[in-house]
Amino acid sequence: MPMEFAGFPFLSAILISCLAGFFIILCLPEARAREIKWVGAVCSGMTLALAIYLFFAYDKSRGGLQFVERVQWIPSLGIQYFNAADGFNLPNLLLSGIVFFTGVLTMWELEIRVKEFFALYFLMVTGVFGLFMSMDLFFIFVWYDVSLFPMYPLIAIWGTTRKEYGAMKLTLYLLAGSALILPAILYLFVQSGLNTFDIVRLMQPGTFTAYQQKFAFILLYLGFGILAGVWPFHTWSPVGHVAAPHGVSMVHAGVLMKIGAFGVLRVAMFLCPQGWQHWAQLMALLASIGIIYGVLVGLRQTDLKYVIGYSSVSHMGIVGLGLSTMTVSGLNGAVFQMFAHGVMTALLFSSVGYIYDRTHTKAIAELGGLSRIMPVASGYFIVAAMAGMGVPGLASFWGELLVLLSAFETYPIRGTLAISALAVSALFMLRVVQKTFYGPANPKYVDLQDVPFSLGVPRMILVTVILLFGFFPSLLLDMIETASIPFINGLPR
Amino acid sequence: MKWMLFSPEIFYLLAALCFLLLSMTGRLHRRRDHHIALALAVAGVAVCVASLQLEGSLFSETYKIDLFSQVFKLLLSVGLALVVGICSELRGIQERYEHEVYLLLFPCTLATMLLVSSIHWLGVYVSLELSSYSLYILVALRKDWTQGIEAGLKYFLVGVFASAMMLFGMVILYGTTGTLDVKQLAQILPGLMSHAAVVVGLLLALSGFFFKLAVFPFHFWAADVYQGAAHQIAAYIATVSKVAAIAVLVRMVAMLGGSSDYFVHVLAVLSVVSMTVGNLAAIAQKDLKRLLAYSTVAHAGYVLIGILSMNPGGYAGAIFYAMAILVMKFTVFLVLVKVAWDGTNLEVDGLAGLHRRSPLLAMALMVALFSLAGLPPTVGFTGKFLIFTAAMERGHFALVLIAMINVVISLYYYLLMLRAAYLLEPQEQCSPLSLSAPIKLLAGALVVVMVAAGIFPRYLMDLARNAAQGLM
Repeated sequence: MPMEFAGFPFLSAILISCLAGFFIILCLPEARAREIKWVGAVCSGMTLALAIYLFFAYDKSRGGLQFVERVQWIPSLGIQYFNAADGFNLPNLLLSGIVFFTGVLTMWELEIRVKEFFALYFLMVTGVFGLFMSMDLFFIFVWYDVSLFPMYPLIAIWGTTRKEYGAMKLTLYLLAGSALILPAILYLFVQSGLNTFDIVRLMQPGTFTAYQQKFAFILLYLGFGILAGVWPFHTWSPVGHVAAPHGVSMVHAGVLMKIGAFGVLRVAMFLCPQGWQHWAQLMALLASIGIIYGVLVGLRQTDLKYVIGYSSVSHMGIVGLGLSTMTVSGLNGAVFQMFAHGVMTALLFSSVGYIYDRTHTKAIAELGGLSRIMPVASGYFIVAAMAGMGVPGLASFWGELLVLLSAFETYPIRGTLAISALAVSALFMLRVVQKTFYGPANPKYVDLQDVPFSLGVPRMILVTVILLFGFFPSLLLDMIETASIPFINGLPR
Repeated sequence: MKWMLFSPEIFYLLAALCFLLLSMTGRLHRRRDHHIALALAVAGVAVCVASLQLEGSLFSETYKIDLFSQVFKLLLSVGLALVVGICSELRGIQERYEHEVYLLLFPCTLATMLLVSSIHWLGVYVSLELSSYSLYILVALRKDWTQGIEAGLKYFLVGVFASAMMLFGMVILYGTTGTLDVKQLAQILPGLMSHAAVVVGLLLALSGFFFKLAVFPFHFWAADVYQGAAHQIAAYIATVSKVAAIAVLVRMVAMLGGSSDYFVHVLAVLSVVSMTVGNLAAIAQKDLKRLLAYSTVAHAGYVLIGILSMNPGGYAGAIFYAMAILVMKFTVFLVLVKVAWDGTNLEVDGLAGLHRRSPLLAMALMVALFSLAGLPPTVGFTGKFLIFTAAMERGHFALVLIAMINVVISLYYYLLMLRAAYLLEPQEQCSPLSLSAPIKLLAGALVVVMVAAGIFPRYLMDLARNAAQGLM
């Protein structure tokens, strides 16, 4: 096999750490739960370390694709194992590393069927990493499915509320997305006549006619959009979030939904820019509806996880809105928001996870006054909720600001509506915080322990990240701009 | 030395004779028979491997040995060896007929081998009948007499009906062209494909294989026969018999089907209806084997997409998919045979608690189900991918989209099976399944094959491509 590597294959090393974890866990006996968790922590820690290294080692002045790895996989069909890092996927790789590592730590207290859980968890995350780094359509599709199918057992076995229903709904919805993606990918492959799945070659201007781009774009947008929680295909997402175990919810809302948005960006927008321009109005419309709808439905929820689920729909709407603006700042905002929402929502689920493990309820009405009993656990949730409201100084602020500003310019009416919806979203987050953590404490829970330091580690990491990128957004923005500026400038006028 | 070309067939004939002699001794030696059968089946695989590269023709050019036929013979021999491998305890078969199982399995495999090489319709017909008759009897040998007879009779009636249609089609072909030699037909037919009679004749002539492959509207037997037959026999029908049917369809369509839109349209309709009917009917099934039967109908639909694309990629896809079906369907049957060890039928919910009773089998089942559903990185996905790519090259966009939607539908019932194995707890206390070391090894190997052929399909794909190249 002809291969081409630019230096040490850091990207593949991430995948190998995941797979190594997977195989080691498979080989360990079920009874050695402690060892399994430690293997999980070490391997996921390694992926995080590699992701951090890549993030800082990327040469921003040079830009473009770096850390390229290329192996001819199936030459007769032009399929390559082709990984590369650029300004769009590095934030997502970093996000995946953070959520993965903290997710493993969040699941530290798991006791039933530990081995199977972590094995499937690792498999899922391998798919996530693979998708973010791949530049080959075939592999993107493969990783997409790899990241999805472990979801079914993960939710159905270890989940909670209506877990079987949620798992089935989620899996079928997301694979219905892949039913649109595969034909679109094959359509582009055949129409290009280049006999390659290489995104870099396929995205050369003039490869596809305007009609082909419009046709393929809508399929890809809907296919990946289902995973990104685009209204009206979002219904799997709150149900799935609620049903999933906490660590899975974290990856799921934190990273998997980003896969959808990233797929729209990397596949649909990269390959079909004219299709993007054609359908941008529709994207903006659906995204705005999603933002407003998520907030309004979230207001009525009584289950803590449902609240987070609907806020995710709303926040992913912001990502969609940013992608639809066709401006540099809109794109920057969208990618920033992917990252910020990922970290924020992971923190939300992680802290709810701790609370649920103690109280065994997610009903807001029953919890009440938790901040007196578990001040630290409540603190984590409140920080995340503040981030969700877009409070300045926390990461989400920058993403939302950038997207809304550019949306306001491009689509004044929808932009205005979205901004007003966000004002309501502040209301709904505050309502949840007030009802859950303040007011009279529920006597049932008075004796519960607050988060000990060791279990607080994952939440602390997430809070640090939120603050870090809240105060220093340029760390991330400079990175994204290395990709977004050339991309927008290269668009056909 | 020309007879070397015929060596796999001769080998299986001798093996069948060997069992004929053994059955005459009268006394049943279960272990001995099984060991002999296994040894012969494995030796058969070796013979087929050795003759993989042979090329030539026999019997006045009516019997063709090429890479295509040899690849399929290898697949058939592997299929037989796998099925024989799970025959160590034939609790689903009436004891006094246990002799006959191997006695019939070997000639049936011989017949399927004759099928994949025959390029004369009479040869095709005779081989098809030989394989079908063996199966009619095998199905009826079920321990539960009424079930077996019912299934055998249904299989027989639908089968002879299909044979009659096939003969009728051959008559029409002969009437319009004056020959039944496929090579000559291949030269005459392209000019005649605008005649409705020729297209109808060809379709009718192929109906025998639509029947074998359980393509709509010839699928009605499948559920009842799978349910009524012993597990091992159902496994044989689901794997070896399907592989042979795919082979003949691919060869006949490749040689005769070109340049007719009507023909493609009919195949496309059959394909769409097969997969939709198969998948929707499978959702409603409680019995595991009935469910598998309907999933087979759906898979027949996917294979047809590759065949009707009528390009080398499509044929290669169909060949690859035949390999995939063999491995993944067999894996499910392996699990079935071991879970329902007493030979009775198993409901889907009967898989409950499998993850504790045997984690290995549960994992094998999971991989096989994901492979059947066509999720990467498994061999089933690669097969579908090849087929869909070929179809897209011919502009069958709608067909690919419909097939993908069907994949999602099928996922529902595969997930229900997975749910039973991983999630449900059995009603009464169930002991862990004790598996012999070879079976454990086999299950592990099947998992590795399904995943490895999904991740590194390159060499198998090249083999399928080369085999398909020779057809054109």
